[in-house]
Amino acid sequence: MAHHMISLLVNGQKEKLLVPSNLTLLHVLRDMLGLTGTKNGCEAGECGACTVLLDGEPVNSCMVLAPELDGREVITVEGLAKDGQLTPLQEAFAELSAVQCGYCTPGMLMSATALLRRKPHPTQQDVQEALVGNLCRCTGYQRIIDAVMVASRTGGAE
Amino acid sequence: MQAIGKSQRRVDALDKVLGRAAYPGDLTRPDQLHMKILFAGRPHAIVKEIDTSKAAALEGVCLILTAKDVPCNEYGLQIPDQPVLCGPGSSKPYTDRVRFVGDQVAAVVAESEEIAAAACKLIEVTYEDLPPVLDPFESLQEGAFLIHPDKDSNIFQSYRLRKGDLKQGFQDADVIVEGEYHTPVQEHIFLQPEAGLAYYDEEGRVVVAAGGQWAHEEQEQIAHSLGLELDQVRVIHPAIGGAFGGREDISVQIVLGLAVLRLREKGIDRPVKIVWSREESIIGHHKRHAYHIKTRWGATRDGKLTAAEVDIVADGGAYMYTSNKVLLNAFIACTSVYDIPNIKVDARAVATNKVPGGAFRGFGGPQGTFSAESQMNKLAEELGLDPVEFRLKNVLHKGSLTSVSTSLPGIVNITDVLERCAEESFWEKRQGSWEIQEAHPEPEGFQRGVGFACGLKNIGFSAGYQENSWATVELYGSETIEEVIVRHAAAEVGQGTHTAIVQMTAEAVGVPVEKVRIISADTAETRDSGSVSASRMTFMAGNSVYGAAKAALKKWEEEERPAIATYQYLAPKTTKLDPDTGAGKPNFAYGYTAQAVELLVDPETGQIVVTRVYSTHDVGRAINPDQVRGQIEGGVVQALGYVLTEKFIQEGGYVRTDKLSTYLIPTVQDIPEVLQPVVMENPDPNGPWGALGMAEMPFISLAPAVTAALHDATGIWFDDFPLTPERVLRGLGKI
Repeated sequence: MAHHMISLLVNGQKEKLLVPSNLTLLHVLRDMLGLTGTKNGCEAGECGACTVLLDGEPVNSCMVLAPELDGREVITVEGLAKDGQLTPLQEAFAELSAVQCGYCTPGMLMSATALLRRKPHPTQQDVQEALVGNLCRCTGYQRIIDAVMVASRTGGAE
Repeated sequence: MQAIGKSQRRVDALDKVLGRAAYPGDLTRPDQLHMKILFAGRPHAIVKEIDTSKAAALEGVCLILTAKDVPCNEYGLQIPDQPVLCGPGSSKPYTDRVRFVGDQVAAVVAESEEIAAAACKLIEVTYEDLPPVLDPFESLQEGAFLIHPDKDSNIFQSYRLRKGDLKQGFQDADVIVEGEYHTPVQEHIFLQPEAGLAYYDEEGRVVVAAGGQWAHEEQEQIAHSLGLELDQVRVIHPAIGGAFGGREDISVQIVLGLAVLRLREKGIDRPVKIVWSREESIIGHHKRHAYHIKTRWGATRDGKLTAAEVDIVADGGAYMYTSNKVLLNAFIACTSVYDIPNIKVDARAVATNKVPGGAFRGFGGPQGTFSAESQMNKLAEELGLDPVEFRLKNVLHKGSLTSVSTSLPGIVNITDVLERCAEESFWEKRQGSWEIQEAHPEPEGFQRGVGFACGLKNIGFSAGYQENSWATVELYGSETIEEVIVRHAAAEVGQGTHTAIVQMTAEAVGVPVEKVRIISADTAETRDSGSVSASRMTFMAGNSVYGAAKAALKKWEEEERPAIATYQYLAPKTTKLDPDTGAGKPNFAYGYTAQAVELLVDPETGQIVVTRVYSTHDVGRAINPDQVRGQIEGGVVQALGYVLTEKFIQEGGYVRTDKLSTYLIPTVQDIPEVLQPVVMENPDPNGPWGALGMAEMPFISLAPAVTAALHDATGIWFDDFPLTPERVLRGLGKI
């Protein structure tokens, strides 16, 4: 297996890594960098649990090959709160019971963060479109939508 | 009430939104090895030979486990009828067989997951295929191929009920409705596929850290298969990514424990980790059973039920799992909440060479209720009665005799629950009787319909099992109580039980919730709580922490510091059912449910849009109202998936829907415009602060409410689901 040297920013931190060609961003994060907040739910781009921001755009990290990451910026759920201070979105998820088992939560937070950065005051339909790739089996989704709407009124993604 | 009845933030909320909560796949230990399973991949065969030589020769392979390596090669929650590993040379008879595609044949432990996977492919297994038994009715036939040759038949369990005089009951009927219902398999799709980590701790115990629903039962099953004493095994539950019944049976736990055991014998003391893929998860764990229910109900012209005859066949798949108990629930649910003088029920759960049926939210309730409530809706139509009115004429009251010839325990307010649901949704009372309100105009191209159904579900384990749960409460401080620790083993699978337990402990001790900390999820730190299933944990844990808190407070008053007390709550006794008549007192508490649904259907495409759901539940008391509503919302959407889109396909015993792109659960765009939880709180006499269980209730009657709404919209009864566009169009005669 060919290997590649890549440099990237992960949650603001510079990382230089030697990665095999077939390694995905999901495994770079979880196995090489120990950032296990990003979850593995299917490795097929079907559940959204592994969603992270790549240059600000939400992507399924299981669908991105590591060699593509050279010179790019990744933000994961661990990179949202600054100095232990939750973002309004995280705060709303915790407060409004948008979290049950929590396995979809990191991916939901990343997709919603991208939405609120792009569109600080979304409609419910915007939220549903932004989260359609993130499956949740516990909550029935309404509380997640409500949390995003509340966050959009209390300060947005940051 | 200072701590309960409030929507306290979850105790694990912070860890979960920060990405810090560690699920089984997130656990790592230095020097760990990786495991991969070789699944059978065929529905029915004898394993003649397993040649591991090529796999063992692969660099980086440390250990290959087969049947002959398992000290006691059997396990199972109800009966130990499944081999840990299938193959020759085993310690138990007939464990050389594979009985479904997800049976495990070998486990490889290697330096990396890739090497373990590559080694699995190098294992050469010689199978002698056996004819797969796929149809439960064929399986029932005399002379059918015995899936478990040590048994007399393929029947896992049967129940029989005879109440009153059935013949007379049908003679008394003016209207008789017959129906034949088929309910589908459902897959849990908890978001976190099975995973785990095993290692030896400092005390020399085999530690298995994996998701589960009942740590102490998992500990027992691991110890049994490994030939170890109970205290040589320790089970830890990390954060668990959903369960819904799907983690009630063993998946990765025994093979993980076995691996560290055998490695240590080879002088290798290293942890072993496994992570199942989504496909392995879908093939590897049990499902909600498919049920086939044939039934006939009679009623008089003025709307009184006279008789019900029900024949139930449940497809149990390859092993027992909890088929016997699921069947009991369906057996009780198949006459729903009605006072019927004459009843005959015959129910059987039978083996087939398919993925086993087992626990899934509702546990047989949704299947039995679908047939009963569909019958009620059809009878109401035949009689020209409003479906709510017809039900109210027949519901059980305090003291009425149920199908099992005893009265219901606790407060019996089925009438109130039904009326509340009717009132909140699409009905109004005119001149003393319930009628459907004027309909909204429907959007262009759609037909609108509304439907109603109701049901009941037991809380706690049934039929003679002495329900119990342990708790320890520890009070620290000198003058005043400064810190409270509650030890309780309840599995936090996402439902919020740890938060509810902290709230109930705070209430019982009389301190703010901030002073209470829970220690859980570890058999070395807690005593047996029982399973998180049967909507039982709030009820059982609440009573146990109440008892422990009371005893600890007494010690505190006697100046003991710290004041520590352990208490085992024993729930009211229940009895087995009489094998001939079905009579008995199987449960100590029930939850009652009524649900109303509005939908739109496009008759050209067969597409259904469920627009409004009113889900009404008497929960006794809501310990955490937000969490209660969260269970209702989540349960309803899961049930919508069950009735609308979730089509689990098995062909010839092979699973064809092992991906999230082929097995379709609801997305955020598939939820109703209005999903209204209606929560009633009439305290149960035995519930902690009156609380009843409720997590399964939103699932119980949703499917028949949807098919009733579809009938209202189209005039056609659908007795099978999921209601895919194709099925709807066929039903409408369009294709």
